[in-house]
Amino acid sequence: MRGLGIRLPFLKRRDHSGRRNGGGGNGGGRGPGGPSLSRQLQANLNAIRRELGDSSDLTIRLIRDDSGRVLAAVVYIDGIVIFDTINQMLLSPIMERVHELSSGRSSLSAADMRALLEAGTIQLGRVRETYDLSHLIEELLTGSTIILSDGSSVAFAAATRGGEKRSVDEPSSQTVARGPKEGFTEDVQTNISLIRRRIKSPLIRVENRLLGKHTKTVTSVVYMKGIAREEVVEEIRRRLSRIEVDSILESGYVEEFIQDEVWTPFPTIQNSERPDAIAAGILEGQVAIVVDGSPFVLLAPVTFVKFFQSSEDYYQRFDIATFLRVIRMVSFFISMLLPSLYIAITTFHQEMLPTPLLISLAAQREGVPFPALIEAMLMEVTFEVLREAGVRMPRIIGPAISIVGALVLGQAAVQAGLVSAAMIIVVSFTAIANFVIPALNMAIAARLIRFAMMLLAATLGLFGIMSGVMILLIHLVSLKSFGVPYMTPLAPLKISNLKDVLVRAPWWLMKTRPSVISTEDRVRQAPGLKPGPPKDRGERGS
Amino acid sequence: MQKIVQYELAAGIFLVQVGSSPLFLLAKPAGRDAWMSVLLALLAGLLLLAAVTLPIYRREPDSSLAELLLAYLGKWLGGAVTAAYMVYFAYQSVRNVREFGDWMLMYLLPTTPLGFVALVMMAVSAFAVYKGPEVFFRVALLIAPGVTLMYGLLYGPIFFSDLFRPEELQPALEHGLRPVVMAALPTVVSFPFGEMVLFLMFLKYGGRSSLTSRTTLLTFLFAGLLIVAANVLLIGVLGPLADTSVIPLLQSAGLFKMVERLDPIVLLLLFVGVFMKQTAYYLAAVLCMAQLTGAKAHYFIVPVGALIYLGALGFRSYMQQVSVGFKYNLVYHFPIFEVAVPIVLLAVMLLRSPKASAMGE
Repeated sequence: MRGLGIRLPFLKRRDHSGRRNGGGGNGGGRGPGGPSLSRQLQANLNAIRRELGDSSDLTIRLIRDDSGRVLAAVVYIDGIVIFDTINQMLLSPIMERVHELSSGRSSLSAADMRALLEAGTIQLGRVRETYDLSHLIEELLTGSTIILSDGSSVAFAAATRGGEKRSVDEPSSQTVARGPKEGFTEDVQTNISLIRRRIKSPLIRVENRLLGKHTKTVTSVVYMKGIAREEVVEEIRRRLSRIEVDSILESGYVEEFIQDEVWTPFPTIQNSERPDAIAAGILEGQVAIVVDGSPFVLLAPVTFVKFFQSSEDYYQRFDIATFLRVIRMVSFFISMLLPSLYIAITTFHQEMLPTPLLISLAAQREGVPFPALIEAMLMEVTFEVLREAGVRMPRIIGPAISIVGALVLGQAAVQAGLVSAAMIIVVSFTAIANFVIPALNMAIAARLIRFAMMLLAATLGLFGIMSGVMILLIHLVSLKSFGVPYMTPLAPLKISNLKDVLVRAPWWLMKTRPSVISTEDRVRQAPGLKPGPPKDRGERGS
Repeated sequence: MQKIVQYELAAGIFLVQVGSSPLFLLAKPAGRDAWMSVLLALLAGLLLLAAVTLPIYRREPDSSLAELLLAYLGKWLGGAVTAAYMVYFAYQSVRNVREFGDWMLMYLLPTTPLGFVALVMMAVSAFAVYKGPEVFFRVALLIAPGVTLMYGLLYGPIFFSDLFRPEELQPALEHGLRPVVMAALPTVVSFPFGEMVLFLMFLKYGGRSSLTSRTTLLTFLFAGLLIVAANVLLIGVLGPLADTSVIPLLQSAGLFKMVERLDPIVLLLLFVGVFMKQTAYYLAAVLCMAQLTGAKAHYFIVPVGALIYLGALGFRSYMQQVSVGFKYNLVYHFPIFEVAVPIVLLAVMLLRSPKASAMGE
């Protein structure tokens, strides 16, 4: 539904036909036409009551003239509107004017009402006319206040959306040591404002639509005109308009409906809680999808390497950022392959270990009753359980779980001879390495693949791992995210884009935007920005 | 339409051409002059590539070998030759699968049945073939830098250590030029330098780029020089032993005591090289079948794969496989497909349309 756009003229007129054509994609419960409004105020109010089943939060404020006759009614749902706004901007001016206007007449026509609204009585950003009941209900449910007048079959919906929401807070995921501490909230308008506050450009485009038959979730597509590729934006629009479900409660719903490939553990859409990360993505030509009710904003198209970039990389010095990226890549491989390598080498290829290490490992494993695979699986599953418990349990019980997890399961398992100490080290290091990956969805992919690799290692040793990695490579290379090959700029190779993959080049070297994602307009900065002291001047004080 | 860009093409040619060759001593009969035979064979292969293979491509940059055979030799003869090429490609794949399976059993997995190792290899290959040439060449691009780096890491230290004794290479040409030439022709030309005929199946995906020929030639030369260097190194390190070792490079790496346990790297290189080669031939065989019958390539993945798998298990032993390969295939069979047929095809092309421009319009 484009009606909810945040930049609309003061009064947007709509007639029946416009409503019919423009309502696509909202999944509205009734046909877009619906029953028209009656001229009788009482009949309309009854219809609204009937439609909402006499819910107790439905508030109907009747406006009477001096004689006590009902002239108009103001209808809203308690809790999802800003009550102060309704009082100050709607109720009191309407009442004043109504009394003025109606003193000599018998009723208030739609034209009167329209004149009244246009004259500036209602000082609200957006007021819209509605003619049919289903549209009116939809407006009511999204937080608008409806003004109905007797003798008129036109209702006015004033934007008064509000209600309780969380304030802008530090993001709980993707934390950084240096960088902005603001995070997205659950409110779509707040989130878009956070993006707009970072990119004060007229090129920013925001396109809203309502998704979910029952939830009517506002979903905004945000991109930069001329920088994001038009065909990508069009593809995202097309995929979003395909969605027809009863509910969208989180951006994860949208992600699963619009992603390219279903049968892959790898995410083909990025998400972030950080406005700076999203703004950076939009500036590179990615398209953001903001879903109401979720602080996680989606970014598409995305490539594999993006999941290893943290927004902090761009705030730290480039050499440190490069080092951190190498560490992350290494951690990704460790978290995927270390247990399987351990299994393969201890089971099949002992000759590859230096003799002293082999003897020490053999001594440790002497009392262990299980083969290496079972041992590793046991510890991996234990760790996954601990990790899940750590996320779900109430915060107060935290220390108890740590003690049970670390001491009982770790120390005691070794002493009881169930697992070897080396295995504990391998599993713990793998687990820690997994937390290094900045994007949670990529980290989960590594966790899943780890188990498959362990099975391959236990059956075929190093050869199994090599085969597994090869399958992984073939799979990764064949993935696409909204038309962009997943492994760019590595394969297909884009040399100019390699400045921001494993190495994060200094800012003054990154002169262009990534060519695979953005349009032809790629120049990011003026040439010759390399800093340095002025050359011609001598040293001070000499 | 799938598309391969220059970098991907270069990586693909490099990996398939190098394959597992640097791990082995080629042209064994030439003794310590083997590396000269290899160099000679490289030059012969270069000539073949520049004079026959690439001109065929340049005249018809939009068609694969199978399509050309069908177009120029007619439905029946062309079909028969295309089918023969399908068998040739599949057989090349068979040799790689079998060879690799045997090494795996020898060095890594002594108790695993050969059939199982080959099955896993075939499954991974089939997955790559299913994804098509574009994905295959992109995977090559992802792997190629790593492979180059690992060869550098292996060769560099060995070359500069005292393991490498240049005196093993002397005296040069002890028995004259004859054994060198005899060893080079036709054996080393057919393997590995004549195998570029395989790329006539893939070059059309390069999309008529004027750079394709140059990329192909340069990559071929680079890969060839790497193989020559590897031979120099193997003879210099192992001396007369090089002749008897199954995987000489593994032996060399074992002698190297500065860094312990280089064998995983060698085996990784072996895996990558063999895998790329086997998959490229498998893919070519599937494409041949598809272009011969006009059906979708996907239908032939399983039948051709099964054929290769059964073929690989058909050899009675590693020794039989090696002896069949070196005694018969390299001398009698492969030159037909790598040299004779391409020359005939080029001749027919020149006769049928002598004035057709190099642009292929």
